[in-house]
Amino acid sequence: MTIDASPDLASLASAGPKSGGVRRLAVHAVMIVLSFLSIFPIYWMIVTSLRPENEIFSTSLWPSNPSLENYVFVLTRIPMIGMLINTTIVSAATALLQVVTGLFAAYALVRWRMRLSGVIHGLIALSWLVPFQVTMIPNYVLASRLGLLDTLTGLIVPNAAHAFAILLLYNAMRSFPTEILEAARIDGARSWKILWQIVVPNMGAPIASLSIIAFISAWNEYFWPLLLSRKPENSVVQIGLQMFMTQEGNLWGPLMAASALASLPILIIYLVLQRHVIESFMKSGIR
Amino acid sequence: MTDIQADLARPLTLARVPAAARQRGTFTVQPWLYLAPALCLLMMWTYVPLVEAFQLSFYQWNMLPTAPQRYVGLTNYQRLFALPEMRAALWNTLFYILGLFPMSVIIPLFVAIWTQDLEGRARTIYRALIFVPMIVAPVVAAILWRWLLNEDQGLITLGLETVGLGRIGFLTDPKYALATLTWITGWKLIGFSTLLFSAANAGINPSYIEAARIDGASRWGIIRDIRLPLLSPTILLLSMMTILFGAQWSFAYINVLTNGGPLKSTTNIFYLLWEYGFQTMSAGWSSAAGMIAFAGFAVIAAGCMWLTKRFAVYDN
Repeated sequence: MTIDASPDLASLASAGPKSGGVRRLAVHAVMIVLSFLSIFPIYWMIVTSLRPENEIFSTSLWPSNPSLENYVFVLTRIPMIGMLINTTIVSAATALLQVVTGLFAAYALVRWRMRLSGVIHGLIALSWLVPFQVTMIPNYVLASRLGLLDTLTGLIVPNAAHAFAILLLYNAMRSFPTEILEAARIDGARSWKILWQIVVPNMGAPIASLSIIAFISAWNEYFWPLLLSRKPENSVVQIGLQMFMTQEGNLWGPLMAASALASLPILIIYLVLQRHVIESFMKSGIR
Repeated sequence: MTDIQADLARPLTLARVPAAARQRGTFTVQPWLYLAPALCLLMMWTYVPLVEAFQLSFYQWNMLPTAPQRYVGLTNYQRLFALPEMRAALWNTLFYILGLFPMSVIIPLFVAIWTQDLEGRARTIYRALIFVPMIVAPVVAAILWRWLLNEDQGLITLGLETVGLGRIGFLTDPKYALATLTWITGWKLIGFSTLLFSAANAGINPSYIEAARIDGASRWGIIRDIRLPLLSPTILLLSMMTILFGAQWSFAYINVLTNGGPLKSTTNIFYLLWEYGFQTMSAGWSSAAGMIAFAGFAVIAAGCMWLTKRFAVYDN
């Protein structure tokens, strides 16, 4: 990894002919340290999960006789498959609903100018700043009154609209050429038709970004499921992990296998859509 | 974690709406139908609960639906301020936030500037690797570090022992536990922040740098007078995210790894809220502590936004 296939002549020249090579090496050194720090714990998780029980404390960088016994243990001990399915349902539904409610709200704010637009925009943005822990007791009381405790619906509904989703789509929609909207309106198209036939097909990129971010953060969500969940089989994989750790905290092999299984879907998404995932997260952070 | 990708630095005022879409004066029901799902959900799960939490902070209630709520006025607040726990939690909150800064802002900023001329495949590979912690679930991150730092057989413990530093109770010694949790919280951010700074840095118009170089500016001079000012929006954004959300990000690690211990050394204000609410079942205390936290962070947020408006340099 230290060898860069295409030496950047311009930067070599600007840094001076002598210091260039040394500096380049130092640059790579910094990035290698950072990459190592980022990736090693995950690598170590996978390696540990593949070690048989009698080798679990080994420090070799690769298991000498890899086995899947830890995975078998986890899959038989806790309802891992069920929890993974639950998590997939919750994450996909949350992402879908955030896109839909976000599209509607953003469309309303872009398409019509109302006297209260500013206030509504402000209300949406400020809802972001309310820490969840502050509203958790009333939320919990509401969820239990609605009979949502220990249900997947209870995990989805409170997150079905999010300020982040609305603002992301609003900002994207604002740059949409209004001439087209206007032309469609003069043509007599209804606002509903304009939204689905003209706006949405042109919002592919922001909708994809939002779906990726919403799915991943719903997958990783911990606090709200922690409040709502009672039984592991009705819950998501993060809660399953936490329960497994509390009960079998020192069975390192199975614990790492469980963690690996819980991260697998996200890591696969990342491997396949790597560039999109990074860009989605970055774009919404950069203006 | 989504919360950190916020573009909160954006001014909250509504930008100009294209003239074509204006319909002043007449009331139309349609936009409200489109707004209804999002607004109802936000009202139901954020704003109404916020008001209810405010009310609850003046009551004593043990969270049982059948138990009465007793009005106690400001007693909850007075008690809280007198509690040493609360003071410890506030100090720890400050420590978490300050401790995160090197990892969420300072190191990434300098790494990004230092490594700016990396190109090609190496850059792509580094990018892909350092981003990974960002998408790892907090519970998984907690478990990974618990394994690496494990006091008996953790890889890092064994490593430290080999170099003769002895065993350190990273999560069990009150001296180190808070720093350990801060590190784990920061581990998820360091690569992401670096990528944000790199992108912002790469977006700087190279003609400014060229002009400065022709004028004889030193490498450091260019960084100080051109790069840092032009990176200030990103610096302010990430600082604001760290201040506003840093303590919340650490919640999962506290909950999974230490439960606020040892000796309350890792508890922070958000963890205290949770403990009062769902462990000691005192809804009034939890709500009062929540209001204190909310008011505190709201003031800080307003201050940050003012700073952003005042000091961020935009290259238009």
